[in-house]
Amino acid sequence: MSEKTDKAGGNGKLKIGMYWAASCGGCDISLLEIGPHILELIEVADVVLWPCAADFKYQDVVNYPDQFIDVCFFNGGVRNSEQEEIARLLRRKSKTLIAYGACATDGGIPALANTKTVEGIFAASYHDCPSLDNPAHVEPQPITQSEYGELEIPRFYPQVLRLSDVVEVDYQIPGCPPQAERVWEAILALVGGQLPARNSAVKVACFDKSVCDECPREKRKVKIKEFKRPHEAMAEAGWCLLEQGFICMGPATRSGCGALCVKANLPCRGCYGPSGEVQDQGAAMIGALGSILDASTEERAREMIDHIVDPVGTFYRFTMASSDLKGRR
Amino acid sequence: MVETPGSCSGSGNEHENDARIGVFICHCGGNISDVVDVKRVADEIGKLRGVVLSTTQMFVCSDPGQGLIEQKIKELGLNRVIVAACSPTLHQLTFRRTVARAGLNQFLFEHINVREQVSWVSEDKELATQKATRLIRAAVGRVQHLMPLDKRRIAIHPTALVIGGGIAGLVAARDLAQRGMKVTLVEKRPFLGGRVAQLNTLFPTGEDAREALNKVIEDVVNHPLVTVHTNAQILDSEGVVGDFRTRIRIEPRGANEHLSYRGNAIAACPEQTINEFDFGLSQRKAIYMAYPGCYPPIPAIDWHTCTKCGKCVWAVGGKGIDLTEQPREITLHSGVIVLATGSDPYEPLYGEYGYGIFPRVITLPQLIRLLDPQGPTGGQLPRNGGGPTRIAFIHCVGARQIEGVNQRQPDGKVKDYCARTCCTAALHTALEIKQQHPEAVIANFYQDIRTYGRGHEAYYERASESGIVFVRYDPHHRPMVEKDPKGDSAFVVKSHDLLTGGLDVEMPADLVVLATGVVPHDISELVGMYHCAVGSDSFLLEVHPKLRPVELAVSGVFLAGCCQGPMDVTEACAAASAAASKAAALIAQGQVEMDPFIAKVDEELCTGCQTCLTVCPYDAITREETRGIAVVSEARCTGCGTCVATCPSNAIQQFGFNDAQVLAEVKALLQGAALG
Amino acid sequence: MAEAHIVQQEVTPAAVGWEPRIIAFLCYWCSYTGADAAGTARLKYPPNVDIIRVMCSGRIDPELITTAFAHGADGVMVCGCHIGDCHYISGNHKTMARMPLLKRTLVDLGIEPDRFVHEWVSAAEGEKFARLVREVTERVRRLGPLGWPQRMRERGVGCGMSLEPWGA
Repeated sequence: MSEKTDKAGGNGKLKIGMYWAASCGGCDISLLEIGPHILELIEVADVVLWPCAADFKYQDVVNYPDQFIDVCFFNGGVRNSEQEEIARLLRRKSKTLIAYGACATDGGIPALANTKTVEGIFAASYHDCPSLDNPAHVEPQPITQSEYGELEIPRFYPQVLRLSDVVEVDYQIPGCPPQAERVWEAILALVGGQLPARNSAVKVACFDKSVCDECPREKRKVKIKEFKRPHEAMAEAGWCLLEQGFICMGPATRSGCGALCVKANLPCRGCYGPSGEVQDQGAAMIGALGSILDASTEERAREMIDHIVDPVGTFYRFTMASSDLKGRR
Repeated sequence: MVETPGSCSGSGNEHENDARIGVFICHCGGNISDVVDVKRVADEIGKLRGVVLSTTQMFVCSDPGQGLIEQKIKELGLNRVIVAACSPTLHQLTFRRTVARAGLNQFLFEHINVREQVSWVSEDKELATQKATRLIRAAVGRVQHLMPLDKRRIAIHPTALVIGGGIAGLVAARDLAQRGMKVTLVEKRPFLGGRVAQLNTLFPTGEDAREALNKVIEDVVNHPLVTVHTNAQILDSEGVVGDFRTRIRIEPRGANEHLSYRGNAIAACPEQTINEFDFGLSQRKAIYMAYPGCYPPIPAIDWHTCTKCGKCVWAVGGKGIDLTEQPREITLHSGVIVLATGSDPYEPLYGEYGYGIFPRVITLPQLIRLLDPQGPTGGQLPRNGGGPTRIAFIHCVGARQIEGVNQRQPDGKVKDYCARTCCTAALHTALEIKQQHPEAVIANFYQDIRTYGRGHEAYYERASESGIVFVRYDPHHRPMVEKDPKGDSAFVVKSHDLLTGGLDVEMPADLVVLATGVVPHDISELVGMYHCAVGSDSFLLEVHPKLRPVELAVSGVFLAGCCQGPMDVTEACAAASAAASKAAALIAQGQVEMDPFIAKVDEELCTGCQTCLTVCPYDAITREETRGIAVVSEARCTGCGTCVATCPSNAIQQFGFNDAQVLAEVKALLQGAALG
Repeated sequence: MAEAHIVQQEVTPAAVGWEPRIIAFLCYWCSYTGADAAGTARLKYPPNVDIIRVMCSGRIDPELITTAFAHGADGVMVCGCHIGDCHYISGNHKTMARMPLLKRTLVDLGIEPDRFVHEWVSAAEGEKFARLVREVTERVRRLGPLGWPQRMRERGVGCGMSLEPWGA
């Protein structure tokens, strides 16, 4: 519990914030997934910033003293100048800054844009989309003169960055979205002072093992005969999806989600990012996958591999920004 | 029983930040320093953090060179040593010993190749110098992450198991027993002797093959330390060097040592089958002896052919034959294994040079059986009415085949290797025929004559002098064997003769002999059990053909004879003695030392995803059910690192080649590259 | 000059005197010995390829390769024993499947196929190794520097775009 030395009304409660950057909003909602615990939370904490849910202005945050916010959750990737500026602002204004969700931790889905060029992104968004009507080929400009004066919008970055690429991060909560049970456990641990040292960017609200640990299916220890996409075949119940040929990222993905997707009969997509101390989730999966193909010749191996439609999207779906290569050239 | 590599002897246990590195760069008498500016490299390296000493030496491997390393380790308290010199394949062990003598753990030493891979291959001296600097800088990065390690030690059970009762297995067993080792010899067939028993004379001595064989057999079976099991199949074998457990099943022989009237029993048997000893040229009974004088001198019953009619039992008054004898299983415990499973002659494809179509197209092994006075024809060859026998030998059948020219074998490949022994064997046999039948007309159709062995060239000379004709054919246009349309002879053999500039040659022949190559006897189950490396020619693959020719990558399993490649009796015996010598040395040590570069699972990080369980070529990884994690057997792991790259959680690391060490090399090499 | 509405993506220029930097992972039993054979025969090849020794090509984790490119390698080579000749029986079978999968991924990330080369080299193939090094070095030279670390730094990886916080 922090001391009350602020203008916002010292009442002994924790001051928490949640900011969304390049985000879908799912993480904000996921915080609400803690359900009735919300009531426990607001007993001990006040929200001092939550653009998704409450009307705080940036100026309010600027006016806070440094380290005013006890715990600030930051979800979404950093993909434009506003997001970077606010990230730096919040780092100054927060005691504990937590990257919340796959986007802030690993880049998430937005980081797949790192496999495209900015020209390509703008073309798709502002020119080529069939439902657009943009005959003058207008693109957003950082500064526009209008009847209301000079309008400024954030500058677009060529790369989606993680929060940790921009500022020092205290903890990271992976997941797309993070599972509520784990989040609540982490909040309790945080409040109780039981998390590891700050400034460590260590992953919390998750386990160290991979999803296979939580998966109810059984391994038969056989090699993969051919790859299948989820819609191409019926998965046999009870048997490891990967061994059946459906590319399941489970072995290379951190656990904590309870293997929800696999329990719903879909292969894991890797949203919790790499497990253990692995840096590059895609490389870890490629190393594992290549080891268990039932192929005795190069031709057969290539044949099987050609059936994988989008390797980058499959192996780096959520972790492009935390991979070794970070994106496309 | 196994000491872990992580427990260490020798100093060097300091934290990596306290690395005190000594770098010794070799001039190699100019081999390196003529291209690489070694002094400049030493200066550059000396500036790196952690490098306490960076110096050059004319010949680091020399006594003074090694002495300097020892001296500096003690004087400067070095805890990491790097030598930049020739290839580690030459002197890595030398320097490890040097370092150990100075009291430093031998695996805190790194050997960098700046000769074979830098000075000898570079033209630009400046760039070569930069490259050498980079490589040593990479080593400096790597050694910071090295840990002291100890070789693995495994106790050895003092018995050898020899698999195969042919000449190689027999020589190996004899040599081992003569050195005082207990030996168990296991032979699949009911009789010892293998392929040598099917020969008549051996080259170059001309001695009787079976007599020579019997001498060895006697030495073996009479030796108190040797136990022989014939009619014995290997069911399974598992374990590691020092501790192999092999289960064998001994098939019932049917007859025993009480059988006195062997001839009567055999004569009474009404069932016949193809006699494999004569390569199908004769028949034998269901109860049989392989050849006169074979060992054991007790007939065996071939249960596939026997109908249990009992006539043999009647014929001997009921004594010595038991048709109800049951198989028995025994488990053998051994410290080492010698594989002497031998070879089979190549079986020509149906129609290959007329084989299988014409009964007078035979293989050389079959011919040798025919020439045996105790063989299927009493030593008689097919005649040509009243005229002299005309025999055509065709060399390189099932050997030196060419993709696209020869028909592929059932396994989809052609046999492109040279089978080595068939040239000498063919000429030896041809000369024997010429000696007994001087009027015989013999021609050898060959690609090259490879009478390579000691005393073998004489066969070529004598064959020429005796009037044997040599026709050299082009491997792309092999000889053709056709029925003689005129009927003067059984066949006509047609070929272009390269020796006379491509003249077309036609030879009428009464007998066509195919000098066939050799294939390894099928031991796919054993290969699986012992995880043998097999070459693309299907023979077992030794660790190194020159430096470790009779060892397999799997410790404790040795190769003797033709299972490793085509050999003649001389070579097979030499190989068998070598294998016995290596095996005995291992047993005599009482324990075996193996490199410590094995894999280890971090129990905290392992998820139990089981991805690694199927990737180990040696089945060294098992699942420990109580904790649901993977465990690597320290004794079975050979240190390939495949599981390390497989593990999607990076929970498996390899001593000596862990991620931290290799990545340190990568990053150090690329330092400065990032600036473009 | 109007401020760009996007932060410019720099194209890494080839510095004067730039030399390709290529990392080669070689298995000790076959390809490393093959490289030695090239040396014993005094064959000459460009000095741009730095060799890292591992016991078996099966040890080569894709992460070693992505790290190499990410740290500035212009090219990466992976060599092992021919299929059927692996000293450790089947370590190279895993390499055989991992490398094409990795290559597809790298190509999709814009790394030209000629920069990542996977070849089998036996202990006797000194000639082949020398020729391989010459060919790969030449191809990478024509492709120019990859310059990954510089590229990523310019895009703010690891440091952001160094902007002042809003309202500061």
